[in-house]
Amino acid sequence: MKLIRPIILLLLMLSLSINAQQEIRIRISDGVAMIPVALPGVTFTSQSTVRNESVRAEIEKTLWDDLDFSRVFRMIPREHYKYIREFDPGNIVFPDWESIQANILVSCQVEMPEEHRIVMSFRVYDVRNGGRFIFGRNFGGKREFARLIAHRAADEMMKQFGETPLYTSKIVFVSNRDGNEEIYMMDYDGGRQRRITINTWMDVLPSWSRDHEKILFTTYRNNNPDLVLFHLYTGKTDFLSTRRANYSADWAPDGNRIVYTSTKSGNAELYVRDMDTGKERRLTFNRVIDTTPNWSPSGREIVFTSARTGTPQIYIMDAEGTNVRRLTTEGNYHDSPEWSPDGTRILFVSRIENRFDIYTYNVRSNSITKLTENAGRNENPSWSPDGRHIVFTSNRGGSYHIYVMDYDGSNLKRLTSRGENKMPKWQKFTHPRFDN
Amino acid sequence: MKKLLTVCVLCLAMLTFFNGCKKEVQTEPEPQPVVEKVEEPAPQPEQPKLTEEEIFMQKTLDQINSEGHLKMIHFDFDKYFIREDMKPILQKNSEWLLNHQSVEIVVEGHCDERGTVEYNMALGEKRAEAAMKYLESLGVPSERMRIISYGKNRPLVKGVDEDSHFMNRRGEFKVVKK
Repeated sequence: MKLIRPIILLLLMLSLSINAQQEIRIRISDGVAMIPVALPGVTFTSQSTVRNESVRAEIEKTLWDDLDFSRVFRMIPREHYKYIREFDPGNIVFPDWESIQANILVSCQVEMPEEHRIVMSFRVYDVRNGGRFIFGRNFGGKREFARLIAHRAADEMMKQFGETPLYTSKIVFVSNRDGNEEIYMMDYDGGRQRRITINTWMDVLPSWSRDHEKILFTTYRNNNPDLVLFHLYTGKTDFLSTRRANYSADWAPDGNRIVYTSTKSGNAELYVRDMDTGKERRLTFNRVIDTTPNWSPSGREIVFTSARTGTPQIYIMDAEGTNVRRLTTEGNYHDSPEWSPDGTRILFVSRIENRFDIYTYNVRSNSITKLTENAGRNENPSWSPDGRHIVFTSNRGGSYHIYVMDYDGSNLKRLTSRGENKMPKWQKFTHPRFDN
Repeated sequence: MKKLLTVCVLCLAMLTFFNGCKKEVQTEPEPQPVVEKVEEPAPQPEQPKLTEEEIFMQKTLDQINSEGHLKMIHFDFDKYFIREDMKPILQKNSEWLLNHQSVEIVVEGHCDERGTVEYNMALGEKRAEAAMKYLESLGVPSERMRIISYGKNRPLVKGVDEDSHFMNRRGEFKVVKK
């Protein structure tokens, strides 16, 4: 009798774990099931003269993490691979991979012809159609760019499946880790964090230019919040607007113009500036605060914050400043709107009981979804280039750090660790380098 | 004779006693006023050399700002109007500014962390402007003042209680030229 109890308990635990596994398997992304992908361990080719284990492991981990992050592909766990014959890139037995429910098989080999060079061969097969070859490409580069090589391959995979590449995209943000608020930049996964501005004054609210070669931000260099355009490759700084407070600039997706907030008239209003001619056009005319403009992906509309009814609410207007309509109706404090890359949703923050949380507004259904709950103050959300992920600031761990989560609030991950980090902006345009 | 002698001796004794007393009384207070008298005239000749204005001009901007002639004011949550209890502070600030005609100031607008970065940039500006307009109404020429908004980027105190928030919702007055 005494033995039966633990046995029943064990059986119960087993059934629970099986149930849990089943739950994970039916993850659905935007109504479309994720594609099951098998990625056997990355190996060195037989010709590889150098076999650096740390390089191999770095590529393997980066590739896995990238595809796992996508919400497009579902990675079949490695422990399932041991039930089938060992992977041999020269002789792939596709029925084996079908038996563990893989739809897509990724074969990746690395060759190091010398100590500092990597050549990676990346092959993708359709398991269900008898192992049809979908695409293959070689990626090469110096040893220190192992992560970048893996990111490029993952980007290529996204493109082949009709998705927007995001693994080589960057996030610009503000950190005080080296003393005062400066502009920093990092990879989408928090890798390679580096400082952009080095000075003794405060720099805040950065955003990307359309070509990703420049950053717009507000600097206190001349003891005034001036809007500047900083050229990443030359270090040149152009002062754009320097009377009173100038901030929250957003580059138009369809041309050389920006929309931004300025108090130069004596009150916070929105302006569109032609970046070629420097000509400006004022969009709002009233005595209340209008702020935080953000273009729609078509460039035809602008979403922004206005206190015209007494409290900050989210509005949409045509790019000419006409046809203003209110979006948020409940709550008394909203701000930081950002339009999703596909135009269907608008991110914003709302304050309830002195706490900010992140919400999305569905433009088609007029419905609002809350993404963060009971976890500190959550601010400044920004979409990933493919609209499946959101980067934002939160003080849930005590001090302010940058986090990333999926569009539905799941898969939370912290990206920063030193100092206070805030105001992240993800590159939202497909990089020109990916267009060729 | 004996009586006369005793009276004389008594008189002498009393005289010497009183003399002794007088001496003691005189010697004690004497050094004190002498020391005081030496001290007093010393600063007097220095004062006419430097006027109050000249002393002021000798100080650095940092020294003047740290002396706290211009007191900060605080605002209500989400608001930028000048509170009744802050008006006397602005009155005193304006008096000091009118007594120091060469001084130019920057009026800083700050917010607590309960607003967004972007909205607080505009709100901080509104607060700085409200404070500047009030000083202007008290006779301080607008040419001597400039405003700057820091939004919530420069909190005075770290803390999440109402007292900390109150301290951070502020208008500060910094001397930038004298």
